[in-house]
Amino acid sequence: MATSGWATLSSRPVARRPTPPPAAEPPRESSPTPNQPNSVTLGPRDRVIGQIYIEGDLRVSGTVEGEIEVSGDLEIEDMAKVKASLAGRDVSIRGQVNGAIVARKRLIVARSGSLIGDVHVARLVIQDGATFSGKVSMGAAAQAPAKATETKPVVPEPKPVVPTPGVEAVAQSSGPIVPGPIVQAPINATMAPSPAAKAAIVPVRTDRKATKKDALPPKDKPKRR
Amino acid sequence: MDTQEAVAESTPVENDGQPDAKRDGQKRFTLGPNDSLEGKLTYGGHMTVDGGRAEGEFRVGGNIEIGNGTVVKALLEGSNVTIKGELEGRLTARDKLFLGKSAKVSGDVQTRRLQIEDGASLNGYVRMGDFEQQAGS
Repeated sequence: MATSGWATLSSRPVARRPTPPPAAEPPRESSPTPNQPNSVTLGPRDRVIGQIYIEGDLRVSGTVEGEIEVSGDLEIEDMAKVKASLAGRDVSIRGQVNGAIVARKRLIVARSGSLIGDVHVARLVIQDGATFSGKVSMGAAAQAPAKATETKPVVPEPKPVVPTPGVEAVAQSSGPIVPGPIVQAPINATMAPSPAAKAAIVPVRTDRKATKKDALPPKDKPKRR
Repeated sequence: MDTQEAVAESTPVENDGQPDAKRDGQKRFTLGPNDSLEGKLTYGGHMTVDGGRAEGEFRVGGNIEIGNGTVVKALLEGSNVTIKGELEGRLTARDKLFLGKSAKVSGDVQTRRLQIEDGASLNGYVRMGDFEQQAGS
């Protein structure tokens, strides 16, 4: 009696489970390596509040609040108003940005750009006329976060497979569709996958801490002896 | 989408007896490769350190220029400050700070306008347009 009940219960989810993954996998090809540049644009009337992770380039002309992480290049255009922490390879700012920035390669603040926030960069260019306030960390200070951001895309690749197409779909649909309210609806969709991406990132950080802890004790012991 | 056209307001000229008002034949001095300066300096003209050694505290009414390959450890204050060498210490530019491609600056920076060329290195806090309320923002 009971076994038959278990059999039916277990058989149902097993039957259901296989169906969603194939639906999610086809849009993302089996080779997730970013050989083909993926470019996402947020138009001047687009608005995002939350976390964005993009495997590729991002161009922002609208409003963003929260967190932006881009594996490729990030451009903040003239009309953009961004209150977010930004991370990318090449970051160029022509609009208003309020938040911390990590640029693994180079940060450019153009003459129309305004930036308030701390900055970790390998190279920094500020054009005459730009506004900038914050702490600048270059060279050795910027190398530590650069390594962390480079490892991130490698590890969570399997899991972001679902969120990334979602973000693309939002961005692409929001491009032609002008009115604001419609853009707001998919925001919930972008919010949902982002914790998954973050959860995938967390183990990396703990690993780094663990290695540091492993490295420290041997140093202390010789001193005490 | 329509941006408000910035109306060019004629900013009221308000000179609180600033010493950097352009005078005829403003004084200037240059520290060459064999020169060295150590201590506290207050000077009305322009100052150039090109190959020389300079340590201390320099407050200059005119412009400051630190040439390529020069290392300066000092608190600097000037109108237009151009740095192509290395600077260690706090820096205040009343008008504009320019960091050339070979510049290396470690220290906090306060300026009204800022330009940094690719290749320059900067470590420290940057504050802009704080001490002059007429900053065109």
